[in-house]
Amino acid sequence: MKQINIIWGLLMALTFATAFVSGSDINYAALLIIGIAVLKFVLVSFEFMELKKAHRLWKYLVLGFLGIFAALILFII
Amino acid sequence: METVPLDSKNVYYPPGGILMWIIIFLELFTFGMALVAMVYYGSLERELFHESRLLLNASYGAVNTVFLLTSGFFMAKSVMELKRQQVAKSIRYLWVTMFLGLCFLVLKSIEYNSKIDAGLDMNYNLFFTFYWALTAFHVIHVIVGILILGISTFNLKRSPDKVELIDIEAGAAFWHMCDLIWLLLFPIIYLIF
Repeated sequence: MKQINIIWGLLMALTFATAFVSGSDINYAALLIIGIAVLKFVLVSFEFMELKKAHRLWKYLVLGFLGIFAALILFII
Repeated sequence: METVPLDSKNVYYPPGGILMWIIIFLELFTFGMALVAMVYYGSLERELFHESRLLLNASYGAVNTVFLLTSGFFMAKSVMELKRQQVAKSIRYLWVTMFLGLCFLVLKSIEYNSKIDAGLDMNYNLFFTFYWALTAFHVIHVIVGILILGISTFNLKRSPDKVELIDIEAGAAFWHMCDLIWLLLFPIIYLIF
């Protein structure tokens, strides 16, 4: 139960980090914003949805989707 | 109540059920392809997309992210309590989950209202066509998610003995899917252009 509280705190911190990055003139802001979004996606799916307990096929499918999606966005942008 | 967890390590029994995960992947691919298309068109008309993005209120998006992530947190806690046979606690967390979902919808309504008042409708330009189509489609999912959780709460309160854990987990997986979709929509629509 404690672990899930830490995950929520981490997700909140990452959300504030996104707000900070988007409001600043940091180089590669888009890369950072997408990177943080990917991290949040992994935390929600693996921890809240308990994907970490699932068969590895489901983990690979989620990570595969996420990897291809993020790569396409960063390549096009 | 049947609260014995299925063997999640079995490829046929991911948490929430295989059918729900097929739906989740279909939804993720649908939204994912639409977002890739949006970014592609954005790369062709950079100035238009940048200026249009500045017409959005990113603070609304950030607060809505907090609402959805926190609701997902309480959803996960609700399932955990159910596995421990703590039905009353599980129901309490379900109510909090639905309340935060409603907060998301209220804020979204305020945002939509301000856009309509400013004349930024679906036909305003290509950016706003994507904005309305993607966010409204997501809102429909949130409404369906709240209805599913409402039915789960009703069943848990009325006859907890007849409710199976896998059904609650399936509803939870759908709710988390709304969260996942928003985590992709928010940075791309509100931030990166």
